[in-house]
Amino acid sequence: MAARDQHGPGAPFGAEQPGDKRNTDFRVVGKPRQKVDGLAKATGALQYADDIALPGMLHAKTLRSPHAHARIVRVDCARALALPGVHAVVTGAEMPIKFGVIPWTQDENALAVDRVRFIGDPVAAVAAVDEDTANAACRLIEVEYELLHAFSDPREALTRAEPAIHADNKHGNVSKHVHLSFGDVDAEIARADVVVEDEYEFHGTTHAPIEPHCAVATYAADGLLTVWSSTQITHYVHRALARVLELPPQRIRVIQPALGGAFGGKSDPFSLEFCVAKLAMKTRRPVKMLYTREEVFYCHRGRHPMQLAYKTGATKDGRVLGVDARILIDGGSYSSFGLVTTYYAGQLLTGPYAFPSYRFDSTRVFTNKPPCGPKRGHGSVQPRFAFEVQLDQVAEKLALDPIEIRRRNFVGEHVTTVNGQRITSNGFLQCLDEVERASGWKARRGQLGYGRGLGVAGSMYISGTNYPVYPNEMPQAGVQLKVDRSGLVTVFTGGNDIGQGSNSVAAYLVAEELGLEVSDVRVVAADTDLCPVDLGAYSSRVTFMVGNATIDAARKLRRQVVKAVAEAWKCAERRVRLIEGRCIDLEDPQRSLPMREAFHIAEARFDTLGATGSYNTPKLGGDYRGGTIGASPAYSFTAHVAEVTVDVETGRITCDKVWVAHDCGRALNPMLVAGQMEGSVYMGLAEALLENHEVNRFGLHSGPNLLDYRIPTSVDTPELAALIVESLDPEGPYGAKEAGEGPLHPILPALSNAVYDAVGIRLKKLPFTPGKVLAALRAARAGGTERATDAASAHSAAARAAKGAH
Amino acid sequence: MRVVVARSIDAALAALASATEASRILAGGTDLCVEFESGRTRPDLVVEVGRVAELRFVRETQAGLEIGAGSTCADLLRSAPVARGADLLALAAREVGAVQIQNRATLGGNLVTASPAADLVPALFALGARVRLASLAGRRELLVEEFVTGYRATARRPDELVESVVIPPRPAGEHRAFHKVGTRRAQSISKVVVALALGPRGAGARIAAGSVAERTLRLATLEAALARGLARERLAQAVAHAVALDTRPRDDVRSTARYRRAVLERVLVRVLGPWLEPEGNAA
Ligand SMILES: Cc1cc2nc3c(=O)[nH]c(=O)nc-3n(C[C@H](O)[C@H](O)[C@H](O)COP(=O)(O)OP(=O)(O)OC[C@H]3O[C@@H](n4cnc5c(N)ncnc54)[C@H](O)[C@@H]3O)c2cc1C
Repeated sequence: MAARDQHGPGAPFGAEQPGDKRNTDFRVVGKPRQKVDGLAKATGALQYADDIALPGMLHAKTLRSPHAHARIVRVDCARALALPGVHAVVTGAEMPIKFGVIPWTQDENALAVDRVRFIGDPVAAVAAVDEDTANAACRLIEVEYELLHAFSDPREALTRAEPAIHADNKHGNVSKHVHLSFGDVDAEIARADVVVEDEYEFHGTTHAPIEPHCAVATYAADGLLTVWSSTQITHYVHRALARVLELPPQRIRVIQPALGGAFGGKSDPFSLEFCVAKLAMKTRRPVKMLYTREEVFYCHRGRHPMQLAYKTGATKDGRVLGVDARILIDGGSYSSFGLVTTYYAGQLLTGPYAFPSYRFDSTRVFTNKPPCGPKRGHGSVQPRFAFEVQLDQVAEKLALDPIEIRRRNFVGEHVTTVNGQRITSNGFLQCLDEVERASGWKARRGQLGYGRGLGVAGSMYISGTNYPVYPNEMPQAGVQLKVDRSGLVTVFTGGNDIGQGSNSVAAYLVAEELGLEVSDVRVVAADTDLCPVDLGAYSSRVTFMVGNATIDAARKLRRQVVKAVAEAWKCAERRVRLIEGRCIDLEDPQRSLPMREAFHIAEARFDTLGATGSYNTPKLGGDYRGGTIGASPAYSFTAHVAEVTVDVETGRITCDKVWVAHDCGRALNPMLVAGQMEGSVYMGLAEALLENHEVNRFGLHSGPNLLDYRIPTSVDTPELAALIVESLDPEGPYGAKEAGEGPLHPILPALSNAVYDAVGIRLKKLPFTPGKVLAALRAARAGGTERATDAASAHSAAARAAKGAH
Repeated sequence: MRVVVARSIDAALAALASATEASRILAGGTDLCVEFESGRTRPDLVVEVGRVAELRFVRETQAGLEIGAGSTCADLLRSAPVARGADLLALAAREVGAVQIQNRATLGGNLVTASPAADLVPALFALGARVRLASLAGRRELLVEEFVTGYRATARRPDELVESVVIPPRPAGEHRAFHKVGTRRAQSISKVVVALALGPRGAGARIAAGSVAERTLRLATLEAALARGLARERLAQAVAHAVALDTRPRDDVRSTARYRRAVLERVLVRVLGPWLEPEGNAA
């Protein structure tokens, strides 16, 4: 099983030993290729959850709380049930068991039982002949609320425990507090030549996937519940359904159809999955629920707002000695993955730079707002922003080039970080070189004239984590292969393709190992009845883990085929090679077979052909509580240079170009990697310049639609130059690491740093709206330089507030 | 709710004869469908005019350029007469939503919604457009500024259909400009939108702005200053004065009052500056 030791970064065939790093004789991997579902996507033929239409299907709608915080006194559904066309109504009382992805913080109900905690909290659901009838029925449900004090300011939630948003939470309204210290931070900072202390702020953004959440359920006469859901983690939905519906898991089947974007926003089990299941059980009819765009905004699970206070001490040649961080995290109304967020906010900062000492104190609180959760770059985008801006401030004090200071602090390859993370391959220096060269940094930075500038930033991210959200010793990823007599190989994987292309990657790897055309491999994924468990699409784990499991399985199958053919040909196994759809004898050019026939020989020799493969992480992480959270088998590294133009009259920042260098290990399909890099920058750029998931003090979203919530259009998107750096990781599938989340991080600080280069203002509070830019310019002009004002407020509200948590 | 699908102007007018305040005409639906969905509008009668070919034309007449109310933004963008006689309208149409919206959104719909953030309306103000209304009771014509009466309010009676707008012929030597500051570069609602026309030496200036009050308005104070002959050096001050007196911006999701004022000033100075004479040369 310990698949990780077996593959190596090299190709399975070629001049060198299989897996040897020098062996670059790949046939499938490493070339730009279409996605396996690319054509179906482009032609609109792909079936998403909402495309499912079953005979007799009912449509369900949810009644949601209009109050941010209230006790439910009474729910009366009688009038709704009496409405013609209504088949069933379900309320929280029928599903009282709580769920949550993290076993220790299960605090959500499918529908509110006695308390609503944000505007939009689901209260009841109706199944009717159509959506309009279901909506009309929702309006007929009478709910009596007793209003409670609603928390909107995270600082208030930190110090005020009553009313508790979750009555059974042990620490008032504090959702999670983590304090970890490595090395003697105070002593290191005390001996530093330069210290920068400042505050930063991240405002909160959401995923805005183009496909809204949707689920369909059927309940068969034999008691099998089938749920199709637009989830990115089938396995957790399966577990949660069994728990909440009190059904044996073997009577539940969960299937993820094609998915139209997720970005972390479909990682939790959601109310609609339980509701369609319960309503299907009640009515014995198929039931579908599709969220409206407004509901998607309120369901949220987006990036947490954070108030970040950082202090960095460095030597006069720019070497970081110590970093001290205090972070206050606004979690919204539920835990979601918040425990992990609170750790990630601190744990993932210890690369690509070496910190001799590091301390972080991060506190997540509950407020009566839509719940936050994981979004692309989970937990680490906000701290990365703060630190990378601060590092530029250090460089500025020391009159060092911002790229140079980053080079000097490089943590290295095959090292252990101050918090005990094992770093293997590390192409960060090369990333810096690439963006420096491509952007013309040396000749252009500081030389573009007032109003234009360049900024740099770096980052590190995980390729999966060795922390399975529920403790178990079983593999994190499993794959099963089946061979058809036509020569078709089917891959069964629990991995969720959410558009990132994980099904394609599985097909490429099998094709590579078995010498097949990609079109001779079919992938069946994310169906709990058919596929072995995979923990799902989060933490950038799929390529690494499912990839390794796939190679593991394919190699087992290959050995069977090679052995059977070698026996038939009465030759040594090493002479038998599977390549380009054929099985050939290396020493006898006359002797070869189509793979189909090779499979027939193997099936005749060994019985029905198939193989399983799996992957589990090695033991990783620091030897302390929480030390495994954020510990990854491999880390990706990124550097960005952003070029901006600042219009000092309108305060508008235009990003003209971004150079993105990303170390993804081996690029299994460079086109997909570049796509992820570009998509990441696009998303991060919008978080810095356009998007704001803003909820007012009553808990109402400021613009829950795609017109007012401004994801960029194509004309808002700058030119993006994706520069792929391949460090070849010793444990990744053919040396691959991740590319889906890491490349997002640096753009936010790179923009801030570029604006500083352009017009001399330090933007430390996201988003960088024109109004803020104008205010900063006014402040700078008024003489009181930015720096002076910052120093005065160094002992910030965030720092003070976070102290209160001890 | 009664729905009438009209195929001609006459059929539409006949259906509208029984219209009330709650009735609605449906053209491209890009405003109305949003209202339906939100539940804000529950009409007793909907008269669909999206397929009335008679409403979709551009005609050069004695009175000027006549544009049918059913013309879409895409029509305005593609019309050579519009490019010649009503360039501001084409420039504005290009800034409405994005391609999909431009293919459906009509001139009449933009005008009748009368949103303070509408992009076509300031262009009509700057062009001095007249609005032609028809009902079974007869036809009438109003200056566009009289037509738009307040926040999403117009002088239209429930039984009236907007048939067309008429743009007077372009005076010789008139400068025109359109500038929109949106929340992003496409598919965005204006934070500030400016359309203006300016004769030689500031004569007959029509300066219209959107998103800076409850309705589209003209900056009368600035127009007067320009008519008196404003030197380039005094422009910024005159603009600041006019913006303070004439506009009433507010804070909302898209921007703040303060930012709107500041940006309106910058836009006006930038656009008008090059056309004004420096001190000494001014009349
Ligand atoms: C995503 C999106 C983006 C948008 N972006 C912009 C933008 O950037 N700038 C902008 O200005 N607008 C924008 N809009 C608003 C809208 O597209 C315009 O106001 C459009 O011009 C309305 O035209 P319509 O034909 O769709 O009107 P409809 O929705 O059909 O009607 C609007 C109103 O006008 C009335 N009406 C329509 N035709 C007539 C007529 N002939 N006589 C009398 N009354 C009539 C209707 O009864 C209704 O009250 C946007 C809308 C959306 C959905």
